Amino acid sequence: MALTTIAVGGRTAADRVREELTAGGGDAAGKAFQAALITCLGIALAIIVFLLYDVWGDASEVLPSRLSGLLSGQYTASAGTAGIFNALRGTFSIGAFTVLSFPIGIAAAVYLEEYAPPTRFTRLINVNIRNLAGVPSVVYGIFGLSILVERFGSFTGGATPIAAGITIAILVLPIVIITSAEAIRAVPRTLREGAFGLGATRWEVIRTQVLPYATPGVLTGTVLALARALGEAAPLLLVGAIGERLSDRVGFFDPEGLRKPFTALPIAITDWAKRPLNSGFFQNSAAAIVVLLAIVLVANSAAIVLRNRFEKKRG
Amino acid sequence: MAAITIDDLRGNPRRLRKEAVVKNVFRSAAGLSILISIGIVLALIGRTWSFVGEVDLGTLWGDNWAPRSDQFSLKALLTSTAVVTGIAMIIATPLGLGSAIYLSEYAKPGVRRTLKPILEVLAGIPSVVIGFFCVSFISPNLVQRFFDSAGTFSLAAAGVGVGILTIPLIASVSEDAMRSVPRELREASYGLGARKITTSVKVVLPAAVSGLVAAFILAVSRAIGETMVVLLAAGSANASQFSTNPFDEGLTMTAAIASQVRGSDAAVSQSVVDSLYFVGFTLFAITLILNVVAERFVRRVRQAY
Amino acid sequence: MQTKRVKWAAVAMVAGLALSACGEDDPVASDTTEAPGGTTGDATGETTGEPSGEAGTSEGEISITGSSTVAPISALVADEFNAAGSPATISVDDPGTGDGFALFCEGGADISDASRPIKQEEADACEAAGVEFVEIEVAFDGLTVMTNPANDAVECLTTADLYALVGPESEGFANWSDGQEIATALGSATELPDVPLDITAPGTESGTYDAFIELALGDGAEARIESGDITEDDAGTRSDYSSQADDNAIISGIEGSDTSFGWVGFAFAEGAGDAIKEIAVDGGDGCIEPSIETIADGSYPLSRSLYIYVNAANAEENSALAEYVDFYVQSSSLTDLVSQAGYVPLPDDRATAATERWTARTPGSDLLG
Repeated sequence: MALTTIAVGGRTAADRVREELTAGGGDAAGKAFQAALITCLGIALAIIVFLLYDVWGDASEVLPSRLSGLLSGQYTASAGTAGIFNALRGTFSIGAFTVLSFPIGIAAAVYLEEYAPPTRFTRLINVNIRNLAGVPSVVYGIFGLSILVERFGSFTGGATPIAAGITIAILVLPIVIITSAEAIRAVPRTLREGAFGLGATRWEVIRTQVLPYATPGVLTGTVLALARALGEAAPLLLVGAIGERLSDRVGFFDPEGLRKPFTALPIAITDWAKRPLNSGFFQNSAAAIVVLLAIVLVANSAAIVLRNRFEKKRG
Repeated sequence: MAAITIDDLRGNPRRLRKEAVVKNVFRSAAGLSILISIGIVLALIGRTWSFVGEVDLGTLWGDNWAPRSDQFSLKALLTSTAVVTGIAMIIATPLGLGSAIYLSEYAKPGVRRTLKPILEVLAGIPSVVIGFFCVSFISPNLVQRFFDSAGTFSLAAAGVGVGILTIPLIASVSEDAMRSVPRELREASYGLGARKITTSVKVVLPAAVSGLVAAFILAVSRAIGETMVVLLAAGSANASQFSTNPFDEGLTMTAAIASQVRGSDAAVSQSVVDSLYFVGFTLFAITLILNVVAERFVRRVRQAY
Repeated sequence: MQTKRVKWAAVAMVAGLALSACGEDDPVASDTTEAPGGTTGDATGETTGEPSGEAGTSEGEISITGSSTVAPISALVADEFNAAGSPATISVDDPGTGDGFALFCEGGADISDASRPIKQEEADACEAAGVEFVEIEVAFDGLTVMTNPANDAVECLTTADLYALVGPESEGFANWSDGQEIATALGSATELPDVPLDITAPGTESGTYDAFIELALGDGAEARIESGDITEDDAGTRSDYSSQADDNAIISGIEGSDTSFGWVGFAFAEGAGDAIKEIAVDGGDGCIEPSIETIADGSYPLSRSLYIYVNAANAEENSALAEYVDFYVQSSSLTDLVSQAGYVPLPDDRATAATERWTARTPGSDLLG
């Protein structure tokens, strides 16, 4: 208080002290820097808002008025009645395969964090997994095409949801391993040591201490991986998803569909957007985007809620 | 009570057997990743090899990528890939890094907890959606407005789209790297009278540089691997010409692969099919190198603290 | 607690997989005889109103692949076929004519849609694999030349102008008027405006590109080869234009510049409405606007045929396939459905010829060049 009232050479002492500490300029640079940072973040967030607005504008002719028709309709050639039933089924099958691969990913993560000795082999596996996470998705598509569709065609049935599902599951497996390993690494040492001290074997420590503690973190990572899996289009183009029309009488959960030609939501979106502009398919495409975004965003939000709970629990 | 013998310490044999089984199951799960890598390499290498044997390798440095006319200019694909990746990084690095510095150094914990997840939502948006956004919004309203020579479809528009896609990756990995810089460094800096900007830029950033480089390399690798955005927004059909101009159309390596399996009416020959494997193998090799380099930097981060 | 729940979810999931694996063991062939019970996917067939003719009653799977230009017709015919009562399961894919033939000639598809006739090497592949086919013409498609609605200076172009603007000699032309000299030399009286020439058109691997070279540029190229200005090897187009695989992308390109130029299939140009301006084409008999009538009667110079190729042996074994093609070639499909899909129906004599060709199962192609 006193400082502000004492004027020295026309300036208050507070100004002088601040000047000394900030090397002059009243920290204009600091203010500008902070403003620039906020702008960066603002732009990044504005893009999301704009994107949602843009898509919703195109979709509003179909949604919400024709939502149930869109969800239950077959993937046919008449825009007014065509729907994404088969595409949703394909995406669901792919999601199911992905979920089935999660235990493998989590097991690998447990091995790497809890068991693996610090050998060259372990390091090789680690580097290999990080590299697999960076391999472009089209390359997984080529893998799916040449190994799963062609080489093991008798097992997968060719271009079927089985081939596509395994391809996508393999694509996200490294992501699942990496995020699960991070969650397991975050488990405090003391928990393990306490259990070991009581005479538990390693597996018992993992089962009773490590996994329960790491579960929310593992779930977060796996759900994010699932969201990524559902939105992938490029590998499906190579594996041979159907791009124009598909109608069958297979139910949503009918395993018979696993051996049949398939399509998926991202494929339907790309295909419909290619049709003549007055055909009504462009609006269908935007509506399908909204459905896909809704699925992905729900998955993402679930993951975020889980993580926030997890962080709170750890304090 | 008898004295504790060595048998008592050895433990229950059933529990130990179970332990061994579990360990082996987990180890094979981890080993599976090696099998996947081998599978990918095996899937690619055979036809890559026959491609190398059957085409005139001189065309790899020609000016045209048109596999169904026996022109295989890898140069054109590599250039387009470099242009798209470069633009993506010009967009994503400042935005991602700026967001990361703000979230890590400036934002209050509550703000951070709200904003970071929203940013991660961006990471979850399927690339098909970003591709359409590129064509319907970014190209006409940003690229073409500021650059007259740009067409509706350009490498620049695709680059911006890919950049948007990689912002969350850069932001998230950089933020983790900066937050792992020990508190003491910041406190020492403040103690010496440094301002927040000085502390952020001159202390925290240099301390986190390995992590930031890793974030950058991972983003580059992701940008190189992005397919759908480029396929939709960069505007070359199945064939493409060599060009270094970002406002031209072009085909990246990934888009070249995807566009050959869809949207061409020309007859298919063996060399067309093999060229896909060849480009796929090249992509695999490039991302392998990038990831090994990134891994080096990440490891250095871990060693530092 | 949480882990326990997770564990149960995993167990349920694995059990589900095991069950579905058992289901898969049924031989695929038995699928065709089993009536698929009342499932939620039963929406097939309720898609469109009036059935347009006799459909079959056979169960079965039909896989169609090939051209993305022809796919909408095959898909619409499939919709109506199901709507008329057929229980067949029909999938239509659209990877492109070349990829379609590649799969078809391996025996991997029942029908190949094609926006051009089969090529010799493709026919050879079919023969080598023992795939015998019936070639059926199903519709006409016009190639619509277009520009931006703001471009008042251009209403009609001769094929000579088209050659001057996009032929191999036009490489580097930045203005419409740059093509004046060649156009005049080829006998065109059109005055090309001095405005920037921004071309967006199909890529070299599109059937629409090949058809344009043949129909629009063929005469010009021939004349220039005769006069010694270009050689046989030069034929084709300039390479410095924006090439697009997606027809709507081409239309966006045309919208994007006030003095643009390009061409797409008739259905897409009509679909774009007022966003683009269709240019009349003079093939020697005056300016003709593209329309259903002018394409059908052959007066519009830039039109091509679309085909389907049917695997003859599969049609023998799979009665659903035979019924589908029967339905396809009946007159109401070839007129109503073709126009509904945005294409131009064949004139009566050619439609009759197509039907007869199928009825007689005439093997092989008449169009191998």
